[in-house]
Formats: sequence, structure tokens, C-alpha cells
Amino acid sequence: MTMINKAESLKQRQDRRFINKETQTAAKYLRRMKELPGAPEGMEPFYRTLERIYVNMDHIEKAPGQKTVGTYCVMTPPELIYAAGAVPVKLCSGNYTAFSVGDSVAPRDACPLVKAVAGFKQTGLMPIYEDCSMMVIPITCDCKKKIAGMLSEQCDVMTMHIPASREDDDIDEYVRQLYQLMERLENVTGNRITYETLAEGFRKVGYAQYELSEFIRLKKQMPYLIRGSHAMAILNSSSYMPADVWGKALHNVNVSLKKSISEKKAVTSKKLPRILLTGSPIVFPNVKIPLLIEEMGGIVAGDETCMGERGLWDPAVITDDSFDGMIRALANRSLRPCPCPTFADNSQRIYRIKQLIKENQIQGVIYHVLRGCLVYDFEYRRIENELGQMGIPVIRLESDYNEEDIEQLRIRIEAFIELIKLRQVPEKATAVRKSF
Amino acid sequence: MSNNISSNKTDIFDKEYCESLNSLYNDNAELTEIRWFFNKTYDWAYETENLSPDVVLLGTAIPEEMVIAAGAKPHWIIGGSLGSVAWSDDLVPRDTDPVSRSIAGYINRPEGADFSDSLFIIPLINDSMRKIAYDLKSEGHKVCLIDVPPDSKDKYAAEKYAGQLTSMCEAVSEKTKARISRSSVVSAMKTVSAARSVMHRFLEITRGHTDIITDAARMFVQNSYYMSPSIDEWIFHVESLIREIENRIGQSKNKKTEHPAVMLLGSPVFFPNYKIPFLVSKCGLEISEAVDYLSMKSFITYNKKTLWGSRDRLIRNIASTWLRYDSSPAYVKNDAMYDYVSWFVQNHKIEGVVYHVLKGQIEYDFELERFEAMLSKQGVPVFRLETDYQYQDVEQLRIRMETFSEMLTQRRYREVKKAS
Repeated sequence: MTMINKAESLKQRQDRRFINKETQTAAKYLRRMKELPGAPEGMEPFYRTLERIYVNMDHIEKAPGQKTVGTYCVMTPPELIYAAGAVPVKLCSGNYTAFSVGDSVAPRDACPLVKAVAGFKQTGLMPIYEDCSMMVIPITCDCKKKIAGMLSEQCDVMTMHIPASREDDDIDEYVRQLYQLMERLENVTGNRITYETLAEGFRKVGYAQYELSEFIRLKKQMPYLIRGSHAMAILNSSSYMPADVWGKALHNVNVSLKKSISEKKAVTSKKLPRILLTGSPIVFPNVKIPLLIEEMGGIVAGDETCMGERGLWDPAVITDDSFDGMIRALANRSLRPCPCPTFADNSQRIYRIKQLIKENQIQGVIYHVLRGCLVYDFEYRRIENELGQMGIPVIRLESDYNEEDIEQLRIRIEAFIELIKLRQVPEKATAVRKSF
Repeated sequence: MSNNISSNKTDIFDKEYCESLNSLYNDNAELTEIRWFFNKTYDWAYETENLSPDVVLLGTAIPEEMVIAAGAKPHWIIGGSLGSVAWSDDLVPRDTDPVSRSIAGYINRPEGADFSDSLFIIPLINDSMRKIAYDLKSEGHKVCLIDVPPDSKDKYAAEKYAGQLTSMCEAVSEKTKARISRSSVVSAMKTVSAARSVMHRFLEITRGHTDIITDAARMFVQNSYYMSPSIDEWIFHVESLIREIENRIGQSKNKKTEHPAVMLLGSPVFFPNYKIPFLVSKCGLEISEAVDYLSMKSFITYNKKTLWGSRDRLIRNIASTWLRYDSSPAYVKNDAMYDYVSWFVQNHKIEGVVYHVLKGQIEYDFELERFEAMLSKQGVPVFRLETDYQYQDVEQLRIRMETFSEMLTQRRYREVKKAS
């Protein structure tokens, strides 16, 4: 009996330590984001959501009895989940404490994102993971493939085979998988997906995407209306908020940004080096890289990561308004425009990066590689060559889910920003832009 | 300077290749039939001057029967060489697994075969293969991808895979200008079935006879399939080797060796990087079975029932048979390997498992936990050994392996003591 009590108390102590560390880290990064000057009005709902999930370790906001479906990657269409009457929640994690727990569960060389997921599932303490009635895991890399096998022993998992190319046959095959997903969602939720409920799902997500496109348009404005770190807080919180609620909150931010234009109010009067962030996803609370860039005097003007602008950017285009046409639109949206390196031929990522460089007047690119994220690492050489031909400097930053490398990253980012400043024409470097 | 570097890398390749061949030859000098395999493997590596293969298969996780049915002679590049790893140094990221690095290196080998007009068939079993395919395509090579469904138990998996195989057949057929008929598919299925059956028989007969043929040589004969000029010729020579070994077994007084029997599990070992099988033998252990996706292929054979039906039906049969037995890392759960290991350990006297993980082959590391749980229930200790193709860690591995060997020997003594 005493032994059992001791074991229980040990588990309780471990859990308490985990909760303390997890919440402290999340609170720290949230505070750093809030402290960064120049945040627009209307940021509170997003901060509140991140605080609710990671600091208070609370459940997501949803109607009583409504089911949640966990998703990974951008290939799982949230429209279908809404159509089944459930709420999607993105489970890709950036948590340092869960990562250290996952380190003992997943292999040493697994990527930190997957280790954090394994860590959360191991502790059983994170409500957003425990609440999931089902998890949908698109197989985008080796780690996701294997973590799907591990998670399937603990909860209901559906894997989705992401084809290596985006030909018509691949889309047809994906359509079939979406019908399979639909069937599984109906079984889990007990609700039938009808034409009307699917249309409602499209409306919810479409509204959020509309507000996002407006937000991105405003974000491109010069002088800057919003910092990249604040934009990342907004985009990360979309994982834990219903699309319509998130869209409404983003609408308020857009209104405040438009007000800033009319009042000629910018984040700063200085001309900061404009950086594009690409590569492995930046997931809260692992926002050390965007924060370092902006604390070191740069600005994250563009973001090509899947937890950032890419995640919700591409809308589903319905050319045939039948039920099958809508499903086909989802399959097309999930695969065709996606520049994820899971695709064998990913030359469209290069075009996308070039487009972002042009639209956002990017001066330097930071290529983020999470340790063990081989697919992004493979594409670095090609992107470095392409950007070299354009005269855009690029650095590869490899990092992990811990704070040990922060000083090293700081030095490299600072040097990179200095390099961009030196490349600027002196009068332009100091010139203050007066109007929009 | 660059010439020096290039020649230095070639030296590494030559040194490893010749040392492995020499060791195998010296340890199995009494077997005359095995010399054919040495010669053909040597030719594969060095007679590349005028070589310009039509169809190149990267790795072994492709049903070659489909390539043969489409009228091509497959040229495999399966990795396994430290020297070829050096040739791909600047082409792939640091953390890429040695097998993929070695494959990329062979393709870019200085003064190697001419692959400019070859059709590359690439199974997308892991991330490295996926991205090597992208690189090859960007460089202007013709590439055909086999997108293996990750969930082999999915009700549509066989259909999807059959579709992939049909597309591959069409791509090869376009290259060879040969028509894929029902009879060509049946003929190819019979040929590879014969090869796999003879391989299976060879492994069964030679198991436990390390005094006649070493464990490394058994693995080498298995590997040589991918380097031989003709499958029929290879079958003939394996059969001759089997006959020679059977004669020797009959003459031998000492029927079986007395070393602890272990299973080599995990990342496949490809020639010429044989440091692990050499080390296992030197540490006083006997590899009773090497279980990886290379050896598991010997179970993929076709019976009369699967050879019946239309051409498309036959392709579907191939797809479903492969999904059942293939144990490549392409799957969410490697059930084929898991079930086989479970069966083998129950039915053979396995005293320990050496779980081999090549750095970067993360899939095997993920699977380890599941294997450990199953093997611990059966009372079989598991020893995880992580390495790459470098030889610097050999001494460290030797110390660990010797300790494992001693532990297994002590277990034997304890069991004898208990019984008495």
C-alpha cells in the first residue's frame, strides 16, 4: 500500500513539475510577444487563446457535447470536420517541456515537433490532445508516418496517404480518401455530412480565409503596420479557435490596421531589414526565431511556413457546386497549391518564395530547419542556389525545442541583419518613409 | 586539388570493396562455387566503363518482376558503400541515412556508369528517396516514382499499389518498346519466384553451418542477386552452391556450431559495408537469421493461384502479395516484419537480437520499442546498435558486442545450471 502511495505521489510530482515548466515557458514567450512594441488593437482574443491552451492548459472553446478532431499538417480539410459538427484542432506542437518528455519516448533523431506530440500524449496532461475523439494524420514525412503508428495504439487515428505528385490521378485518389475521412467523421460524431452542413463548413473556413487574405494584404503595406511575431501569434491561434470566431477576431485586427493607415500610424518609423522566414514550421511557444529577428532589429515581412500564412492561405475553389464538386475542390486545395516538401517535385515552392520576395520586398531569407526535419533540409541547397542568383542573402538556421541555442542563434541573426543593413544604400537605410 | 580529393574518395571505395571481398574469400576459401559471386560482384563495381543501363532501380523495395515483364533488365543501385557515401557529400544534407547517401553517390560516381539516358525507378519508402527523386528530376533524368501506400491494411491499398505498378510498367515499356502481355508478366513472376525460392532454400540449408559458410558470406550471396548479370545464371550458381554446401554438411562431423544464436534485425546490411556481420562473427555470435526488407523478399513468391487470370489481375496479385510481405520502412506499422520476427523467435532457438540502426534511418528506431516489448515477453534480450558506414566506431562497437556475447554465454551457463 505504501509503495503504491509512493508511486502515485511520484507520478503526481512529475506531473506537477511538467505543468509548471510547460506553463512557465508558454507564459514567458507570450509575455515576450506582448512586450514587443507595435502590436495592433484587437490582439487580445489571440493572446487569450494561446494563454488558455498553453498557460492555463484548458480545453478549446466549443459548444457542450461537441467533439474535437485532432489534425496535423495543412492537408486535412477543416471544412469536412465542421460539416460533421466537430471542431478541428491542430496538434502540431512547439512545446519545449513536452519535447523533453517525448525525447524518452520517440527516437533521439526524431524531429522536435513529433517528440513534443509524443511527449504530450505520454503525459496525458494536455486537454487538447486528450479531448480528441479522433486524430487525422496525413503522412507527410517519416516521423509523421511512425508517430501515427505509435498514436494509433492510444487513440482513434486515421492516416492519409499524401501522394508524391499532384497529377489528376493523385487528386482522384485523394478525393476517395476524403470520402473515407467523411465516413470516419460521421461514425465518430454521429452526425451525417450533408450538402448543407458541408456548405456551412465552407462558409466558416471561407470567411476566415477572406479575413486572412485581407490581413496579408495589409501586412504587406509599407511602412509596416504589424510585426511578424504578432502575425504569428494570430496565425498560430487559428489552430485552437473555431474558424468563424477566429475570422471575427481577425476582422477586428484588420479594422485597426486600416485605421492605422488613415492615422498614418506605423509600427516604427525606421526602415528595418525585411526578412522572409521559410522552412520548418514555427509553432507556439517555439517562437524564438521570429522574436530574435525582431528583437535584433529586423522584421519578419514574409512567412512561408505551414503554421504561418501558408496554413490557411489557399481557398477552396468550387467550379462544380455539387457535393462531389465540393469534395473535389477540397482535394484540389489540399494538394495542388501546397509547397510542402513532402511532394517529390516541389519546384512550386521556389516560385512561391520568389513571389513572396517580390511582393514583400524581401531583403534576406532565413531558412529554418528543425533538427531531424530532413525534407526541408534537402530543399535548402536548391533554394540557396535560386536565391543566390537573385542576389538575396540566405542563412540556414538549425534549431531544436530548447533554449540552449538562443545565444548562438542571436549572434547569427544579428550578423545576418547587419549584413542586410550594410547592403542597403546608405541614404535609403536611414530614410524615413512618410506616407503609405 | 579536386582530382586529389576525387581519387582519395575512389581509394576509399576500392579499399572497402576489396577488403570486404578478400575477407569473404579468405573465410570461405574452401567453397569453390562462391567464387562466381565474388567475380560478378567485382564486375558490377568495376566494369562500368561502357555501362549505360536502360532502367535503374534505386533500392530493393520494388517488385522487379514488373520491370522484367516490361522487357527491361534491372540495374540495381542499393547503396552499402562508404566510398560512394563520400561521392555524395555535397549533394545531400548531413543527416541523410548512409544507404540513401550511398545511392546518390553511386549515381554521381566519377567515371562511373552513364545514367544520362536511364529511367530511374524510385520507391518512395522514406524522405530521402523522395528528395533524391526531386534532385534527379531537376537534373533532367527520367524518373518513375512508386508511391507505396503507407497503410498496407487500408482496403484500397492493393488497388492503389497496383495502379502504381501499372504506371511503372508503362514507363518501362515506353523505354524498352516492349509490350507487356499476360505471358510476359507470368514469365517474370515465375523467374523471380524461382530466384526467391532458391534464396530461401539457401538460407535455410546454410543456417547454423558457420564452419562451412560464414554468416557474412550468406548475406553476401543474398546481396549478389542485385549485382548479377542475369537472374537465371544467378539461380543456377546458387543451386550449385547449395549442392556443394549440402555435400560438405554430409561430410562434416561437427554438425552445428555452438555459438549463441542471434537475430540481426533492423536496417539492412548491404555489401560492401559488412562491418556488422564481420563484427558479430568475431565476437563469437552466430547470425541465425538476418531479418530486414532484403531478406524478407525471399518470402514473396507466387503460387499457381496467383499466376491465374488476366494481365491486370496478375498485377493486382503482385501488388497484394507485396503489401502482405514487404517489410520496407514505407509503412506506418511494419507488421510483416513484426509477425515474422514473432514467429521466428517462437520456432527457432534465438538467444538474442542485435537491432541494427543506421544513423538517419529513423523508422527502425521508432519500431524498436514495439519489438523490444514483444521480445522481452519471449525472454529474448535486445541489443541496439547504432552506426553508419564509417569504420571509426568499430572498436567501440566491438566492446559492446563482446559484452552482449558474454551476457548470452552467461545466460546459457545459468540455464544449464538451473536444469541440473
